[in-house]
Amino acid sequence: MNNKIITIISHEYFTRIKSKGFIIGTLLGPLFLILLIVIPGLVAYLSADSTSKKIAIVDKTNFGIGQKLVNLDTSKYYLSDKSEDELRRQVLAGESDGFVVVDENVISSGEALVFTSGGGIGFITSLEGNLGDIIKQKQLKDAGATDDILKLIDKPFKIKTLKVTERGEQKDYTEVYAAIGYFLGFVIYFLMFAYGSLVSRGVIEEKANRIIEVVASSAKPFEIMMGKVIGIGLVGLTQVTVWIILGFAAITIAGTIFSGSISPEQIAQLQNQTAMPQSSGTMLNIAGLEIPAISPWLIIGFIYYFLIGYFIYATLFAAIGSAVDQEQDAAQLQTPVTLPIIIPILLVFNVISNPDSILAIILSLIPFFTPILMTVRIAATQVPLWQILASIVLTVGTFFLCLKIAARIYRVGILMYGKKPTFKDLFKWMRIAK
Amino acid sequence: MEILEVKNVTKRFGNYAAANNVSFTVESGQIFGLLGPNGAGKTTLIRMINNILIPDEGEIYIFDEKLNSNLQNKIGYLPEERGLYKKLKVMEQIVYFARLKGIPKSTAIECARFWLNKLGASGWENKKIQELSKGMQQKIQFITTILHSPELIILDEPFSGFDPINTELVKNILLELRDEGKTIILSTHVMSQVEELCDSICMINKGKLVLDGKVSEIKSRYGRNHLVVEFDGSDEFIKLLENVEILNRSNSRLELKLLNQSINTNDIFKTVSEFATVTRFDLSLPTMHEIFIDTVANQQGDKNEQ
Repeated sequence: MNNKIITIISHEYFTRIKSKGFIIGTLLGPLFLILLIVIPGLVAYLSADSTSKKIAIVDKTNFGIGQKLVNLDTSKYYLSDKSEDELRRQVLAGESDGFVVVDENVISSGEALVFTSGGGIGFITSLEGNLGDIIKQKQLKDAGATDDILKLIDKPFKIKTLKVTERGEQKDYTEVYAAIGYFLGFVIYFLMFAYGSLVSRGVIEEKANRIIEVVASSAKPFEIMMGKVIGIGLVGLTQVTVWIILGFAAITIAGTIFSGSISPEQIAQLQNQTAMPQSSGTMLNIAGLEIPAISPWLIIGFIYYFLIGYFIYATLFAAIGSAVDQEQDAAQLQTPVTLPIIIPILLVFNVISNPDSILAIILSLIPFFTPILMTVRIAATQVPLWQILASIVLTVGTFFLCLKIAARIYRVGILMYGKKPTFKDLFKWMRIAK
Repeated sequence: MEILEVKNVTKRFGNYAAANNVSFTVESGQIFGLLGPNGAGKTTLIRMINNILIPDEGEIYIFDEKLNSNLQNKIGYLPEERGLYKKLKVMEQIVYFARLKGIPKSTAIECARFWLNKLGASGWENKKIQELSKGMQQKIQFITTILHSPELIILDEPFSGFDPINTELVKNILLELRDEGKTIILSTHVMSQVEELCDSICMINKGKLVLDGKVSEIKSRYGRNHLVVEFDGSDEFIKLLENVEILNRSNSRLELKLLNQSINTNDIFKTVSEFATVTRFDLSLPTMHEIFIDTVANQQGDKNEQ
């Protein structure tokens, strides 16, 4: 690399690193991401059981079914001995949200009629569950089931998995690793998009403001394009590094707070409860949520696939940017570049469910999909070395191919103004630029 | 010594030749005018000299070396369409372009201070480009063009956007640079600037070289055919004049082009003095303005004949 390309790289890098947008994005990005993950869950949680509806229970049996139901949730259920007509009036007047009459018939048939003021499936589901459990118990008891049998029925069946490795059996965190894979795949998707369009916007800015002619009188088009792509790539790497450091810091701090707030006996107790062979690496156990050890290879893999993915797409984004006069015109030409970024995100779920299937292997070796899907697989399963090496060879090869094509389009594109180019034009430029 | 040699250069865009077998040379230490009507192919030619475009045929030499990207450091280029990074500060902008031309940062800052001061722009270092007026941006662009002390300076319409005071300022800097031995290629449509500044010119029309040489030689080739008459009295004499083309007339002033070398100017003087008192009678070389129009019109004529 000569001085000019280094000058361009450092210009692209430092002007961006110093910008407010970068600093805010780097610090608030993770916060935003966490909110993005937490909020839908929170909303679902709040809306499912947050019904403020009050249901009147008329218990015509003498087994205390009504009382048992009220005991489950006093904020939702209350006992009533009013007549049905009176209850109807109350529902209409809005004093009550509904009522249910429990009699012998309900127990024998296993069906209950609920009168409501309408609206909301949430409370019906919870009433069905609550009342159902109580009625089922009563039915079983009537059929002669003993308390022991009832207990057995209540106890759910659980699976605990152990992973067989060369170092012995380890606790299996398949689900957690799958979630981590999904998360990392999504982060790469987001980063390739964000930084790819940063490249495209940078190229368009230089062209629209006619800066490119001055720069091109000082350096080769290839150097200008590569300098921009590498410079912005380094910005991305800086951001990811900060995030990883922040992430580890957050886990460490959370771990310290957690272990500080409980006594060693409690830890021992917790460990006894799990009664499982400990995984070899460090493991955090926060309020029952276990975060298994993250292998350094996963982090290295993540960084490699992020960078190679960025470089493949950034060159293509640069080519598209060079072809248009203004940002609005870029959208249409960008579709063939953005599509292969979006497709693997749609496939992630399939790959996570069966990370070792032939389909998953093939998909993750398609160079344009590799950055997202191989990261997902590395997180979710033990990817054989040959597949990793094959993916590296294929992605690096694809990068050089894209670079060659993009550099040709870029060289011609940056000086073309006026007519909005079509793909036919781009192919023509590729041939012109020898 | 020749600083630039353009040798049989051709550049085609599709079927259209923006430069068609163009050859000329530029002597070092002079101001060289690159003229031509709009769309003649000047920008294409300038881009090729800057190594931004590669000729399809022919070669370009700078200091007898075939043009390559290393030679770009010896050239300073001010394009017609100005381009600066809007969000950069003035000093950052100047330093970046200087570093692209191979100047170390500390030298660039030092030189930038010198030129900002010289152009009456000291104190602008930390202003963002987008905060500057068009004329101010123009000054910054001019500084970025000459900061690395290039041997060959290529300026495309350098005075557009400048008020008369700044135009004079920049003009004087150009003359100083020439006196230091730098070579300047000036592309402009303002012929009075060519008269004032250029030692030699070449003219391009429709991608072809149509005129080339020292300004004085080109003018004398056209001959002394430009007559200015100022008078006091009636202008009735005008219709009596023969073999002349009236370029400009007012109540007391007449500019003529003599269409025939054999015309006796004494006869014209006599004719005028029969009607009015002659206060000025000046036979001179044609202006570049006339030569420009004449050359382009001739080309048009040639084409029509074909």
